[in-house]
Amino acid sequence: MQRVESAFHPRHGSRLRSCALVALLALCATAAGAGEWTHWRGPHQTGVSPETGLIDSWSKDGNNLIWRDDFVGRSTPIVVDGRVCAIGRVGEDITRQETVVCWDAGTGERLWERRFNIVSTAVPWNRVGWASMAADPVTGFIYAQAVDGRFVALNEKGETEWEWLLGEEVGRFSGYGGRTNTPVVDENLVIAHVINSGWGKDFGPAGDRYFGFDKVTGAVVWVSDRNDSLKDLNTYSAPVIAEIGGQRLMIAGGADGWIRAVQARTGKDVWKFQLSKRGINASVVVDGDLVIAGHSEENLDEGTMGRVVAIDGTGTGDVTQTHEKWRVNELSAGYASMMVHEGIVYATDNSANLVALDVKTGQQKWMHNFGTVGKGSPVWADGKIYVTEVNGNFHIIKPGAEGAEGIDDEHLEMPYGRYAEVYASPAIAYGRIYFSTEEGMYCLGDKSKEFKVDRGDFQWEAEKAPEGAKPAHLQVIPAVVSAKAANSRVEFKLKLYDAQGRFIRDAKNDEAEWTAKGVPVRWEDGFMYFDHEKFSGTRGGTLTATIGDLNGVSHLRTTGPLPFTEDFSNVEDGKVPSGWMGIGPKGQVVTLEDGNKVLELHKARGAPRARPNMGVASMTNYIVQADVMGTQKGRRRSDVGLRNNNYTFDMQGNHQRLQIRSWDSELRMMKQTDFAWEPDIWYTMKLAVEYKFNDKKEPNLAIVQGKVWKRGEDEPAEWTFTAEDPLPILNGSPGLYGYVPVNSYYDNVKVEVNAHEGHEH
Amino acid sequence: MKAMSTRLFAAVVAVLFMIAVPAQASDDPDINQYGNSPAKNMVLDAKGLPSEWDIKTGKNVKWSQPVGSQAYAGPIFYRGKILVGTNNEGLRNPELKNDRGVIMAFDEETGEFLWQVTHKKLPETKLHDWPLQGICSTPAIENNIAYYVSNRAEIVAVDMEGFYDGENDGPYKEEEDTSKYGGDILWIYDMMGELDVFPHNLAAGSPLLVGDLVYVSTGTGVDEGHINVPSPFGPSIVVVNKKTGELVWEDASPGEKTLHGTWSNPTYMKSNGKEVVIFPGGDGIIRGHDAKTGKIYWTFDGNPKDSVWRLGGSGTRNNIISTPVVYNDLIYIGVGQDPEHGEAPAHFYAIDPSKSKGDGSEITKEAMVWTRNGEDFNRTISSAAIKDDIVYIADLSGFLYALDSKDGTHHWTYDAFAAIWGSAFVADDKIYLGDEDGDIAVIKTGTHGGGGKEIEAMSEMNLGASVYTTPVSNNGVLFILARNRVFAFAEGAQSKVGP
Repeated sequence: MQRVESAFHPRHGSRLRSCALVALLALCATAAGAGEWTHWRGPHQTGVSPETGLIDSWSKDGNNLIWRDDFVGRSTPIVVDGRVCAIGRVGEDITRQETVVCWDAGTGERLWERRFNIVSTAVPWNRVGWASMAADPVTGFIYAQAVDGRFVALNEKGETEWEWLLGEEVGRFSGYGGRTNTPVVDENLVIAHVINSGWGKDFGPAGDRYFGFDKVTGAVVWVSDRNDSLKDLNTYSAPVIAEIGGQRLMIAGGADGWIRAVQARTGKDVWKFQLSKRGINASVVVDGDLVIAGHSEENLDEGTMGRVVAIDGTGTGDVTQTHEKWRVNELSAGYASMMVHEGIVYATDNSANLVALDVKTGQQKWMHNFGTVGKGSPVWADGKIYVTEVNGNFHIIKPGAEGAEGIDDEHLEMPYGRYAEVYASPAIAYGRIYFSTEEGMYCLGDKSKEFKVDRGDFQWEAEKAPEGAKPAHLQVIPAVVSAKAANSRVEFKLKLYDAQGRFIRDAKNDEAEWTAKGVPVRWEDGFMYFDHEKFSGTRGGTLTATIGDLNGVSHLRTTGPLPFTEDFSNVEDGKVPSGWMGIGPKGQVVTLEDGNKVLELHKARGAPRARPNMGVASMTNYIVQADVMGTQKGRRRSDVGLRNNNYTFDMQGNHQRLQIRSWDSELRMMKQTDFAWEPDIWYTMKLAVEYKFNDKKEPNLAIVQGKVWKRGEDEPAEWTFTAEDPLPILNGSPGLYGYVPVNSYYDNVKVEVNAHEGHEH
Repeated sequence: MKAMSTRLFAAVVAVLFMIAVPAQASDDPDINQYGNSPAKNMVLDAKGLPSEWDIKTGKNVKWSQPVGSQAYAGPIFYRGKILVGTNNEGLRNPELKNDRGVIMAFDEETGEFLWQVTHKKLPETKLHDWPLQGICSTPAIENNIAYYVSNRAEIVAVDMEGFYDGENDGPYKEEEDTSKYGGDILWIYDMMGELDVFPHNLAAGSPLLVGDLVYVSTGTGVDEGHINVPSPFGPSIVVVNKKTGELVWEDASPGEKTLHGTWSNPTYMKSNGKEVVIFPGGDGIIRGHDAKTGKIYWTFDGNPKDSVWRLGGSGTRNNIISTPVVYNDLIYIGVGQDPEHGEAPAHFYAIDPSKSKGDGSEITKEAMVWTRNGEDFNRTISSAAIKDDIVYIADLSGFLYALDSKDGTHHWTYDAFAAIWGSAFVADDKIYLGDEDGDIAVIKTGTHGGGGKEIEAMSEMNLGASVYTTPVSNNGVLFILARNRVFAFAEGAQSKVGP
């Protein structure tokens, strides 16, 4: 039986329910709740809590400790509708996964837990759960971006509302070391910072971009232009929303060292300010029209490190030279984000000094050392500052006009004696303080005070453009489509905004002229279908809607029905096949001396690891096959392989072995065997994934099966190398793999249906 | 080496060195290197070094000079010059733009900037050549030639005279800046190109110089996923002839068992009548190599057998970043990890290598003279300074310990209240110790009566930026390299610390 897929991308939970919600919410929609902690920096995104009657001290032995649960986390919890939720890591060895847990905020009872596989990334295990989540007070949905780019919306029961696999679907980089961005919910959107290389002229080049998703349906509403001069492939300055100069802005630091403001409703650039020679990790904090930003890397205009600046946020374009109001040099506030309260900016430097600055002038009022490693961001509440240190310390500090005084310190340790890592900052709501550590999830508070869920006021109304406003921006929703061709239909919506980013009206689809490039499409009853009879394999392109002089673009990518083959004979040298992702500067089609055209993967800037994706993320139940050839230069040899449902099967050159794995830096289900193979010889590899099911027909075991033989020789009848995964990964793009300190080559790619019994194809 | 085969280059070098080496006495006794000598003991004879100074008033400041924005190598003195390794943020030559690794030379007496060598970054920045870290290799200098490992994992030989002598010495002629402010490179040995070294984050080895040989650690290690060692046959230690730049020997131990990177340094000693180079590998195992051939005489495991390596530093197994120190025929070394991995209990050892039979076998049990560990010693990247049978060793957690060199008896502890990356330097009956807060503590040497108590510093001065290096002294002047400035301090001097 054929299943009709989501309108815009593969996996989608309770679609009907969501649609109903959309209709309901279109009239009112959202803002951050004043009484809850729905953004990692609190209800006003300033690091300040309006709560009162909070504790002055606590102890892990029980004083003011309301509840604690075993949990391993490194990011700030969120609190919404009586629940406290956090992202972390769970499991041992083969069961290692990312986890999202929600507790009853009052009792600490675990309401639910969802576990997710981490796939196809080089981010190590201990960095899993890096980014904090965001919550929407209206729907109660929470949003998590995992280190491998899984971006998921979970409802109050922990069910998946929608999900994007940003790595496979838009070419998100997971980068070096795990830095991952925290999303922000604003009005009808959840906005995420993504560094990616997609497809096509505009979406293809690597850059950091912001994506506005419909918070209910997951449809991409807008994609910002890119920042192109990347200094890092991942940073974690989380977006902050502010109304400045009559515009609703999303402001964040980028991987290019710039602070950037875009219209929150359209993603259109408003202003940018160049701050650092490296990517920015701290979030900005906004006070009125002032945007205060910090970093701890090299400054641009002198040979020093670290600076805090105040930027007048009312400008447009490049405001670096024109809108800086003050600066504090060599204040290295690079990891922790600042907070602002009653005219004072509180910055934590990397060495755990808390510095109070006058928000108008930047003049330092005092400095207070509270430890050695400053990474957690401070939170002001009830006249106290709560701040953590990586080395297991939780501090309560009393700030004053002339200085500050530490009033309580608690040290957390692992059972084996080392300190428990604490990267997170506290979340404060309902008179309680919540924080997650390597050693547990904590709830602190005064036990004598009654627990009461105060949701605060979270209703909102979007500002509309004034009567007669001129349309300046045409939004095409969904702005990104990534889906299998055969079963997909897409309904587009058009919205018009004025120059200030205010909504004017919905436009009808027949008001626009529609132009598809790169992907054959057809229209029927107002829906767009991929015209899969006109191509095979994968295609990437755009669909442009034009109304008057306004253009709106949707980025389309799709894979036709199986089987498909690719021998590169129709691909120009120097290019890659249409719609293939994950290659960037690391590969191209070349003509070998014998005249044969093949795909070459080679060393380029960055790590020599390449994972070309040849299809869309929702694919499953297929067999991938390709001819592969590694090479050798000196002592360097390449690793070559295939990928299927996010399992990698490679022939490793220097190690002379075969390996199957799901996660390059955490070999939780890895299996390997010695295998002698030669460089400069073509081999054929084949990879399939099959599943076993429990009584409820849920897959409970993946059987990953590979074989390899010298090209031209007889294919072995049986699978020759097999690995099993009790936490099966159920889908993923067919792909190639190369670790290429020296070149590797690929030819005669074939992806076909796996005619395994008992499978839905 | 660039664009020339090794063999061709060796021939060229052999010829050129006969005619082009700067005119210096061939038996120059004046050698300097990281750790002051092949034993790497951070101790020097000195008199009249200042116990205090003030960088605000200029009291006891002889001179100071800005360097880049980050500096981790040196200072090292040689015949009236001071070298430091830093990045290019000082932009001494505005023509040479962008991030680079830089070696700067200053006049030892006046602080005047003399010349600099700059090296462009590798394209794989974070993987092999971490942005803005500059050159982290403290040069070894002899015969007016300085040897160091560039940010590009090259062994580089430069003429200490620079272009002040009016000549472009050595076979290498591709210097970008041949004005007097440009450095004069003699030859380059490219360890990535020639030997497929795979530096993790950065090659940072400070050469050991003994006889005709230059020994360097290569930085080789895991890839960005932190598990796979992509170049297991790429060496961890490389030895070249100081005159020709030709490879003499190399060793790839521990190959694919490397835990992270290879960042310790080799140390030299004579033991059982043999010349031994002690080299701590990226697996936390210390190996004694025949200094001439590389043959492994013995191994010593710096970790208990039941220890566990965990990514991110929460494990109990450590690798080694500290440099071994030889004192009275024993080896002193502590284990640790990348400071990013945080603090944790670790081990410090006194090792007697004479217990080895020289057959390559493990001597951990029989050679361990004493150890300090657990709660009493945290991860370290510092080396020991040993004087009058007292070992002064710091750990990353900010403690400096004074221990009896013969049995490890704990005399006292000093708490710097900040992370320590560099080593204690002992001279003039004083210990100079820098920390991440930029404080330099001056502490009196000796047992202070023993008993394991906590002691105070004689004085503590802040340098305005973190200190990640080890102080040195020469001719009554103390040299300290802070993160972005190099200082010369001398009793009675007065000099304003400029912008």
